[in-house]
Amino acid sequence: MSIETIAAEADAVTADALTRNVLIVGVGGQGVIMISKVLALLCQTQGLQVKQSEVHGMAKRGGVVFSHVRFGAKAGDPVWSPTIPMGEADVLIAMEWAEGVRWLPFLRADTGVFIADTQQVIPPFACRNRDFFAEPAYATETPSEIVGQVSDGFALDAGRMAEELGNARAANTILLGTLSASLDFPLDDWLSVLNQFVPKGTEEINRRAFLLGRDWVETPRENPAMPAPTPALPIARPGIDVRLEITRSWCKSCDICVKLCPERCLDLDDQQIVRLKDPDACTGCRICEWLCPDFAIAVHHETPERPHSA
Amino acid sequence: MNEITPDKFEIRDYLRLDLMPHFMCPGCGHGIALRALLWAVHELGIDKDNLAIVSGIGCSGRVGAYIDANTYHVTHGRPLAFATGLKLARPDLKVIVITGDGDCLAIGGNHLIHACRRNLDITCLMLNNEVYGMTGGQVSPTTAETRLTTTTPAGNSEPAFDACKLAEAAGAGLVGREVTMQTPALRNLIKEGLAYEGFSFLEVMSDCTEIYGRKNDLGDSAEMVLAQKSDMRPEAYTNSAEQPFRPNRLVTGILARNDRPEYGDTYRRQAAALCGEGDDAA
Repeated sequence: MSIETIAAEADAVTADALTRNVLIVGVGGQGVIMISKVLALLCQTQGLQVKQSEVHGMAKRGGVVFSHVRFGAKAGDPVWSPTIPMGEADVLIAMEWAEGVRWLPFLRADTGVFIADTQQVIPPFACRNRDFFAEPAYATETPSEIVGQVSDGFALDAGRMAEELGNARAANTILLGTLSASLDFPLDDWLSVLNQFVPKGTEEINRRAFLLGRDWVETPRENPAMPAPTPALPIARPGIDVRLEITRSWCKSCDICVKLCPERCLDLDDQQIVRLKDPDACTGCRICEWLCPDFAIAVHHETPERPHSA
Repeated sequence: MNEITPDKFEIRDYLRLDLMPHFMCPGCGHGIALRALLWAVHELGIDKDNLAIVSGIGCSGRVGAYIDANTYHVTHGRPLAFATGLKLARPDLKVIVITGDGDCLAIGGNHLIHACRRNLDITCLMLNNEVYGMTGGQVSPTTAETRLTTTTPAGNSEPAFDACKLAEAAGAGLVGREVTMQTPALRNLIKEGLAYEGFSFLEVMSDCTEIYGRKNDLGDSAEMVLAQKSDMRPEAYTNSAEQPFRPNRLVTGILARNDRPEYGDTYRRQAAALCGEGDDAA
């Protein structure tokens, strides 16, 4: 293949008529990879070129999982890179609400389809306030806000729908059904490929979940974007009533507290004595107090630390 | 985060404030160990008047001096011998020995094995910083192989000691090890040791940042504390034929429990019996 041909083909790709991009995001255990495999195999059976690329490192600890699926618009169309550039995803499927919000910049601004499950999986690091029953710092965007921003948006409570169907783990299949309404493949092919991937004995429930998701899009409703989701949590960073008492004359500038503070809210001042640089970031976790060899830091919780234990 | 007691632990209540700030170098782990000890004392509700701290010579020996309790600063290597006499004469006191790796294993190694053998109700806290810090950084029994010190300029050629295995073999009632980074866990271990009826030997992995860390290029204080996090300086703990005493991984927590009769009871029964006989004969 000559350089000219490659350049010509690359030009054609940048004209972005040739590749369809589906970005699937979620957290560990939700079935992101399974959906992307179904989609990729389906594209193969249709004779299309397809590339799939995923990241699932910390999945078992509730970490982020995402999968890029790119396939040619028609047989023979090439797929060059396995990853989707920012702003070029035709469809963004989010199994988890905050992940969907986070990946929005990848969605094509003018024609992108946004499909999101409104269920919330709140990661441990969103629990900035370590008090019991404190509000976590989680995405505050509501489904109506987001769906209003994209060209075509569906936010459905797939987790609850799957539970009503009899198996909460079929939520990803519901979203796959929702996706199928946006892509131009025959329904029978979808179902046969799906059957190859689901565990033995769950074929029937997955088929019903798939059809439920597909019908959900096509069912006329007054406001398709608003399926009455769970209300978004309002507080992003709650103020925590913590006071750091620093005994300046005891500090020996050893730097342990500054480097080991999980919120990085301490630093050394011009006299090399520790100070609280960012009082709002301090969560009162006491690590600086415990690890100060010179007892220069004392953490005081102005409000009782554990209200229920008093 | 892990407070259990309703009233908060204030370390100032247990310190001799006129001596503060203490003399330890910046970033020295002994201060963290001292906090854990006082925290454990607080949570167990031990009265300061009934607390006797015996310490030897070295950096660790100075740790005891900052505690506002009955403290004794005795000759090199002999805190366990002193504490044995103290505990036998005053069994009502809670006796804690703070000692270092050189103090406990080199100069006082003899006293350690016999204190373990006797199983008298003493808590021995060995602050292990792998070096003689106060005297300028000489090699100690726990200095890992190949490490540089002022007396081993070409690297230490001797294998290092596993003090916990020694104490276990010598018959100590309770043997444990913890790192200073895990302050709440260290506090819990010291609480176990204090509550145990018998000799408890607790090894605290501390850091000498100024002398040992600097000479061996182990990073600044924070890096040395972080290095304790998991396998803790794995090169120092290889379980090869050359390092017969070292575990290949730094195991923490309670390592051995050897429930035997506490020596003080036996001693007092025998003393009472002898005194009784003496009275009858007179």
